[in-house]
Amino acid sequence: MSRKSVFTYLTVVLMLSTLILGACAQPATPAAPQIIKETVVVEKPVDKVVEKIVTATPAPKPTAAPKPKGKITVWMWKATQDSIVNPGVVKDFNAEYPDVQVEWVTYNPQDVYQKLPLALSAGTGAPDVAYVEDSHVTKYVYLGGLADLTDKVKPYLDKMNQYKWAAVMKDGKYYGMPMDSGPVVLYYRRDVFKKAELADDPDGVGKLVATWDDYLQTCKTIKQKTGLNCFSSNKANNYGRLYEMMLWQQGMGYYNDKGEVTVDSADNIATLEKLGEFWKGNLVSDEQDWTDNWYADFASLDKPVASLVEAAWMGVFLKSWIAPGTGGKWGVTLMPAMKAGQVRASNDGGSGFVIPEQSKNKDAAWAFIEFVCARERSANKFFAAGDIFPSFEPAYNDPLYIEPDTFFGGQVTRKMYTDVVPKIPKGYIYGQYYQEMNGYVSTAIQKYATGKMSAADALKEAATAIRKQTGLK
Amino acid sequence: MAESASALRAPARPVFPAPRQGLLREIWKSRWAYLFISPFYILFAVFFLYPLLMSIYLSLTEWSGLGPIKFVGLANFQRLLDDRVFWQSMQNGVILFFMYVPLQTFLALVLAVVLNSRRVRGFQLFRTLIFMPYITNKVAAGFAFRLLLTKNNGLVNLFLGLFGIAAVPWLEDIWWARVSLCLLIIWAWLGYNMVIMLAGLQTIPSELNEAALIDGASPVQAFLHITIPLMRPVILFCVVLSTMGSFDLFAETRSLAGGTGAGPMNATLTPIVDIFNMAFGNLRLGSASAMSYVYFAVIFILTLLQVRYFGREES
Repeated sequence: MSRKSVFTYLTVVLMLSTLILGACAQPATPAAPQIIKETVVVEKPVDKVVEKIVTATPAPKPTAAPKPKGKITVWMWKATQDSIVNPGVVKDFNAEYPDVQVEWVTYNPQDVYQKLPLALSAGTGAPDVAYVEDSHVTKYVYLGGLADLTDKVKPYLDKMNQYKWAAVMKDGKYYGMPMDSGPVVLYYRRDVFKKAELADDPDGVGKLVATWDDYLQTCKTIKQKTGLNCFSSNKANNYGRLYEMMLWQQGMGYYNDKGEVTVDSADNIATLEKLGEFWKGNLVSDEQDWTDNWYADFASLDKPVASLVEAAWMGVFLKSWIAPGTGGKWGVTLMPAMKAGQVRASNDGGSGFVIPEQSKNKDAAWAFIEFVCARERSANKFFAAGDIFPSFEPAYNDPLYIEPDTFFGGQVTRKMYTDVVPKIPKGYIYGQYYQEMNGYVSTAIQKYATGKMSAADALKEAATAIRKQTGLK
Repeated sequence: MAESASALRAPARPVFPAPRQGLLREIWKSRWAYLFISPFYILFAVFFLYPLLMSIYLSLTEWSGLGPIKFVGLANFQRLLDDRVFWQSMQNGVILFFMYVPLQTFLALVLAVVLNSRRVRGFQLFRTLIFMPYITNKVAAGFAFRLLLTKNNGLVNLFLGLFGIAAVPWLEDIWWARVSLCLLIIWAWLGYNMVIMLAGLQTIPSELNEAALIDGASPVQAFLHITIPLMRPVILFCVVLSTMGSFDLFAETRSLAGGTGAGPMNATLTPIVDIFNMAFGNLRLGSASAMSYVYFAVIFILTLLQVRYFGREES
């Protein structure tokens, strides 16, 4: 071959090989973990608490089959990961399963929700264990690609909070394991209630907010006497979380047992209008959730917001990073009922674990999940560390749950959560189409709150769109 | 006779049997050229052509990305007809276009003209400073703007408060949210457009301008009657790009709005964000594909109209 063609030949080979190598290069391990606005582990004597737990619970059950081994990849948010790693749950796990190595990949929730479905569809790239919120997990159960865990979770079906199983069930089979729940309570500022010349002990406040109408009256009193806002509820960027809690407590939601859309039912409209009374009365602050000003409203010493209806996990957020300087000023009581005598319990959030079908080490993955979720010791360790409320009911028989909390003025808050949990009704909010439903309903709430449409019209518009898109009636 | 003649014309030492005639022979003659350009075409076929064609098919189906693909004919398109959110997003694209494109194009042109003349001291520095926002990370910029534009205690409102102006609901009102988005876009893209205009200005011989000024025209008149007409193709280019851009906004809207990137009551939702949410949030690839094609059709017609209207040669 002539010199020229050798040169040409080599150039082509070089170019093609660069191209091929470039195309084949595996993407680097998932994007650098992002620091999310989640909790720092609480500065509390975890060891002291752990000691108590150790003496209270029995030794772990022995396993007969050969122990799983190998490496497992776990996708988890930073806060939950810290609550599992820091108090030594992983160490305990490795004591029982010495041959399993846990590799953590820290993602914030939004990243999980983008990467997981893509990995499931593509058939590669999914972890062995993923931590997913109940609100999103059902979509992935119906997408497919998750391992069937029915046989494995059978012994625990009656040991977890009952209402949690619906999120991971399809056609009688279970595709996930609950880890934590979000029982809703009412947090309030004792100093504000005192200033408004109202009772400030949990029982007294509990009576003042027995129903949403009572709560409305109490807020009016607080506004009159102190000029302070009752809670925060943004109008133009509302994402419907409080509205969903109000629906859930009534055993209602976006759909019913027949699978029909109930977004525009009379009860749903009435619930939205009840929430609307707080906007109309100018009793709430306009701060958007999870922004600096919203945090400042909790942390403020002289001009705080008076209360907040939220799930148990909010407690540790307040304590550790949102309002650490307000220790002793908070109290917890039951959330208001919609009507006198009705349920004063609801759910917001809650998560669990799933195992993608493509995982090569499902036994080790299950061993990890079972150890974290279904052992009293593990559950109470992560509860103590991060106030992540375990769904595992046997864990509640522990002195941990009757400890007073100085941040809440010496109140035994954990007992309040365990009292609320069994009362939580079956939910009709989360489900296969939650993201779409929440999207349309949020827009409807925004339009109603800013006065652009009536509640009935706004919800009707949302319901029509949901019916068209999902094909439900 | 013909056979022996062609046998004589065949290459003396073929590498391997070379095609003897017609198109194949032509291609074989330029085989190295084809080899060199093939990487691009292979990538093009895999990442552009295949998805393009697959989407046409998917738009007639319902599919979540995994599991069986269900054929539904034109149902997705029918549903799209009264999909308020999608048409809201198209409407937003049009609104945003009128809100920022004329302003941005005009500013870019004026800045380019001003910074083109060597008389402005430090013109290089200004050009660089104005261009820099374009190379910043748009997501980070969006977050920064969001902090600045918070209604209570955002820096902008605090600053306005010094002059007694009431807190503006930058991100909480439908129209103010759009204004906020336009501010972000102009901040980020002005430099880019300005650089394109600068390049265009280089093609205008300076004698034309000088002649006009000598003949007694004011700088403004020279600008209006000489610069602008001659810059027509460049201006058209910027406007067409901006049109597509105003529907295409993704990073900016998502980071400014938060949540799924829709803004208050979907005020700043753009078609691309809506399609993205439908495909990867709701896992409805069929609907999203149908939406993409409708969107493509609308943009195509708009661009065609623009080129027709603006691109006419001046008599």
